Amino acid sequence: MARCNFHCWLVLLLVASAAAAQDGVFTANDYAARIKPVLKERCFACHGALKQEASLRLDTAALIAKGGDSGGAIKANDPAGSLLLTKITATDDAERMPPEGEPLKPAEIAAIRAWIAAGAKGPENEQAERDPGEHWAFKAPVKAVLPVVKNEAWSKNPIDAFIAADHEKQKLTPQKPADKRLWLRRVSLDLVGLPPTVDEMNAFLADDAANAYDKVVDRLLDSPQYGERWGRHFMDIYRYSDWWGLGAEVRNSQKHIWHWRDWIIESLNADKPYDQMIRESLAADELYPNDLDKLRGSGFLARQYFKFNRTSWLDETVEHTGKAFLGLTFNCAKCHDHKYDPFSQVEYYQMRAIFEPYQVRTDVVGEELDFEKNGLPRPFDCNLDTPTFLHIRGDDRNPDKAKMIEPKPPAFLAFEPFAIETVLLPLESYQPGLREHVIAAHQKSADKVAALARDALTAAQKKHAEATEEQKAKTQLELTIAEKSLAVTEASAAAVAARLAADRIKYATTISDEAKSFFTAAALAEKTVAAKKAEEEVARAELALHLAAADKKADPEKKLAAAKMAVETATKNVAMPGETYTSLVGALKTLENNLESDASRRKPFPTTSTGRRTALAKWITDPRHPLTARVVVNHVWNRHFGKALVPTVFDFGRKGTPPTHPELLDWLAVELRENNWSLKHIHRLICTSQTYRLSSSNAGANAETLATDPDNKFYWRANPRRMEAQLVRDSLLHLAGELELKMGGPSIPVADQNSKRRSLYFVHSHNEHQQFLSIFDDANVLECYRRSESIVPQQALALENSPLATAMAAKIAGRISSANPQANDEDFVRAAFLNVLATEPTKPEIDLILSALTQLTEIATQKKTPNAAAQARMQIVHALLNHNDFVTIR
Amino acid sequence: MNQLSRRNVLKAGLSSLALGSLLAQDGILRADHAQEWSPPTGQPHFAPKAKSVIWLFMNGGVSHMESFDPKPELTKYGGKSIAETPHKDVQNPEKLKLARVTVINDANGQQRNKLYPLQVGFKKYGEAGIEMSDWVPHMGGCVDDLAIIRSMYTTDDNHGAQTQFHSGRHMLDGEYPTLGGWVHYGLGSLNDNLPQFISMGKREYWNAKDGHYLGPAHDAIPIRVDPANPLDFGKPAKNLTAAEQQIGFDLVGKLNQLKAEEYPNDPALSARIKAYELAYRMQTSVPETLDLNRETAATQQMYGINEAATKDFGLQMLAARRFVERGVRFIQVQHGAGGAGVWDAHGGLKANHSKNFLAVDKPIAGLLKDLKQRGLLESTLVVFASEFGRTPGTQGADGRDHHIYGFSVWMAGGGLKGGVVHGVTDEIGFHAVENRHYVTDIHATIMQQLGLDSRRLEIPGRKRLDIDHGKPIKEIIA
Repeated sequence: MARCNFHCWLVLLLVASAAAAQDGVFTANDYAARIKPVLKERCFACHGALKQEASLRLDTAALIAKGGDSGGAIKANDPAGSLLLTKITATDDAERMPPEGEPLKPAEIAAIRAWIAAGAKGPENEQAERDPGEHWAFKAPVKAVLPVVKNEAWSKNPIDAFIAADHEKQKLTPQKPADKRLWLRRVSLDLVGLPPTVDEMNAFLADDAANAYDKVVDRLLDSPQYGERWGRHFMDIYRYSDWWGLGAEVRNSQKHIWHWRDWIIESLNADKPYDQMIRESLAADELYPNDLDKLRGSGFLARQYFKFNRTSWLDETVEHTGKAFLGLTFNCAKCHDHKYDPFSQVEYYQMRAIFEPYQVRTDVVGEELDFEKNGLPRPFDCNLDTPTFLHIRGDDRNPDKAKMIEPKPPAFLAFEPFAIETVLLPLESYQPGLREHVIAAHQKSADKVAALARDALTAAQKKHAEATEEQKAKTQLELTIAEKSLAVTEASAAAVAARLAADRIKYATTISDEAKSFFTAAALAEKTVAAKKAEEEVARAELALHLAAADKKADPEKKLAAAKMAVETATKNVAMPGETYTSLVGALKTLENNLESDASRRKPFPTTSTGRRTALAKWITDPRHPLTARVVVNHVWNRHFGKALVPTVFDFGRKGTPPTHPELLDWLAVELRENNWSLKHIHRLICTSQTYRLSSSNAGANAETLATDPDNKFYWRANPRRMEAQLVRDSLLHLAGELELKMGGPSIPVADQNSKRRSLYFVHSHNEHQQFLSIFDDANVLECYRRSESIVPQQALALENSPLATAMAAKIAGRISSANPQANDEDFVRAAFLNVLATEPTKPEIDLILSALTQLTEIATQKKTPNAAAQARMQIVHALLNHNDFVTIR
Repeated sequence: MNQLSRRNVLKAGLSSLALGSLLAQDGILRADHAQEWSPPTGQPHFAPKAKSVIWLFMNGGVSHMESFDPKPELTKYGGKSIAETPHKDVQNPEKLKLARVTVINDANGQQRNKLYPLQVGFKKYGEAGIEMSDWVPHMGGCVDDLAIIRSMYTTDDNHGAQTQFHSGRHMLDGEYPTLGGWVHYGLGSLNDNLPQFISMGKREYWNAKDGHYLGPAHDAIPIRVDPANPLDFGKPAKNLTAAEQQIGFDLVGKLNQLKAEEYPNDPALSARIKAYELAYRMQTSVPETLDLNRETAATQQMYGINEAATKDFGLQMLAARRFVERGVRFIQVQHGAGGAGVWDAHGGLKANHSKNFLAVDKPIAGLLKDLKQRGLLESTLVVFASEFGRTPGTQGADGRDHHIYGFSVWMAGGGLKGGVVHGVTDEIGFHAVENRHYVTDIHATIMQQLGLDSRRLEIPGRKRLDIDHGKPIKEIIA
């Protein structure tokens, strides 16, 4: 105890000395430094601009003194008589403030006490927190008048005008444009994710036309590889994940989710308006219920599937809908009202209610009826009436059943009533067995099986005919099996026809007596298949009995008897087929959780959808929405400049970082919307700007610029960036001429070391990562609004020692040599530099490499390596692949 | 530092920063939240007691009653349902609220009502006379260096609790940096030739990374105790002589230096030059460290390398000592990861645990003794843990299920007390009843000994909860 007392004394001493200024006076500065930050962190959420519990605000000294329902929160010079102090020091949990989390720390309490004792003064003109509705991001963006700038070259492109205006204001001198080749490498990597070839560099160097740069940008934007490059970016933002689970069991995301990836790529290549992409992402199943192409877009929701916990599933859906499309952290309001933004815990569950009815199913694609092999995963409203309840303190074991939560977005961003209209679905969407391609698939599949059975019968007949006498007994039995088996397949084909006919009647008209005869026919056809199947089983059992050793007949005899019994039952069923039959299957629901039964998942799909997600998509894409366009142009900007205008790319709320260039951000957001949400339009503006063209070097910058803006906040130079993982691998393959440009299709297993396809096609999931890509900070599948750019030794080892880098170095060296057959060493060095780094080597660089080349050739010769010189050259290329500027976008 | 000298320090007018550090050592003062954030400097926040950590993690869940917290009452009431014994109150629903159910009707992680007798004997070890089971005789021999915490609890009764033990958060909460990631983030290098954070042993996919939002730079580098193939991409894909490789590395280094003239003050370029140099050195330093043949036969025997049952883990333990010796900061060793983990004895507990303890007991004891005889135990903190314990009740005929309400962890070295037991479970090992500790209290204790204040490492936008930080277990700190 003595020890404790000593410590307490020490704390008091320390706090007293630090809290009170030299003369024992607690100044306004001390308040700003020591008191206000604590109140802001712990109290403002309920006693500030966001909320005023008990009519109390604590965001200025004056408001603290004024107090709330219980009178003044403090009495100047009288800590003991101050309610604030009583509350923060209360030992009773029910009494103590703040009510959540740990109590204030002793040092914090002591500082507040000292401040009150010293008179509780705040600075003059202290500003209260602003109304949250006034937060910049919650107000619609408007285009500011473009600034007029002196430099004419910077006045043509609005981006440049905004940037140059800042340069002039801050007296910054921008760097010179990057070397033409480096610009070409930059824009090629940015737009298509592949470095330029030497031919492309030469063509661009030779093009003196005024629009030479524009032509390059157009060419790249028209390339299908653009969709792959930017597709991967949006896969990050939408947190693309292939499925994972245990064995064949899906636990998270969905099988064949790659259809969604292909939709992203194709949509970007087609420059589908971004608002349309959002509509398809959130509500394609309601808006385009029979358009399988568009339905792929709703993979965004299929990906959220999580088998073991519906709340986790919906939490992630709400969280990432907020973060990806709106830059809002809804997730912070799961357990309590949001601490920074004006939305409540109830509103969190209102967002959940929008998604509450949805489940996931897989629709038949093309002719493939096996859902393990292919299919389109997509959402559908399944449980139309499931209520949503608020979880008290975010605990899903403790729902507040007293009040049903309505589906709607947070009120502070509502510009009109949230109008939800029930969607009447077309027949083929809730009975997808009636889709033409599905019918054809069933028929074709039945015919195919029958054809196989026919072939098998022919073979059995032939075998029987050619059999010796002692074989005949067995081949006869085999022949019977083949005959019965054919009968099964023929009956199946007939059943498909009967089921189809019944389905057509069932879903097209009111059910008449005549319709019932179709149902009976379908039921009869199915029962007939079962009976034929039972007969086939008898034939098989007879063969098994025949083949069994004389002393082992008992068991097969038992089985045969059982099979015969089954025939009897099946025959009785044929006599009384009833009206129940199986509709043609065109889609299969994914199990809701680990408890759902197979029968439950095969229930008919609802004929309506709630329309909640359509209303949500309408709200998000409404031209009046202040966030949607800003969020996406910010993502685009970040990926061209290596720096976002709003650094907290998924949080535009009050806790996020304000934009570095608010007018530019807003101008771009409005520009996007005014140009039919064309992302290519924004790329074009950015990539043809002078700002984008700047060199990334500091060298030669004037002293004033360096002193004023050492961190390049105002874009007076470009920012060098490290290639993302996919670019490193793709560039290696591309420079080697090995990259296979086949697009789309099922994901490639991570273990496939030989694949030469683009890296975005590898399986990427919670538990499967491609090794080479992982080392270069591949996307985190749970959340990846920005990639990290680490610099770690494993990256050097991967480029130095991996079989991929080694093999590609050899290929690249070989290509350079065959393109320059007469090249001497110096020519080779120059060509290698151009190929790998898109820049001319300097004299010192050439000298260094030539000297290494000589040493390497010598060693190779000593080792009696065949083609010693070629070997040495290959190692030079390999060294260049490890050059900083290979993995850097300059 | 004793109280008197502390007073003198105060009188001498220490700067407030240094004073704050002094206080923070006792966990009294926390970093001021109001101050501007800046990334860690690599220096400890206050004087550290330990330099390195060896983190031994037994995947699947070790039975605490049959290792470090023997419970004879189990044998006494074996076969009876808990409700029939004087201990029936352990199943009072109020006391079971700790559990967070994430998988409804999970086959495992359930209440097991029928008490299962101890499957192994136990006795007192060491001067401290601490009871431990007959499956851990070698660790028992080191008990005077161990601080055994018998009052651990966690909240999730499935194996996602493995991530919980490493990061404080269950896998369903998302991916959070592990303790090793935080330590690597907070502290600078002790040896520029070796990575500072390594892991040995297979890691299951859900527990395979460390840095998470701190970035992959803070992931452990996986090391295999195989001098021929110790790390991924650790040697050239084709035959190159050392001289050839050196020429290549030198060339890249020099070319990058030249580039730095063209692009002055490019921090990424400088960092890459450094990373590149470390990569080159790792190619030799890692195999050199793993050249275990340099150890004497006596040392190898201490670790059980000469016996088939203990060889694999013994090699890892010996390698861990060699890494610590060379200044590796954090060594994570996973035992038996894969699926649920080898310790997950839902059935056949006796066969399972006797085999697994046989594999790790002697090697771990060898490590402790070897560290001690070399004077390294003072600065090296060793932890032995699993994600949870096992139920006092039986599952099936002869197994125990996952158990979150009370289990054991031990720590040794690094300025902690030895020969102490901290915390208590009830008489059947069901609930931790005194000095209860959540898993992050282990983290906090380690951070404390390393001289780190986890709150000062927190990064903007990634607010951690108090429970994520945990509280140091002061009672076991020497």
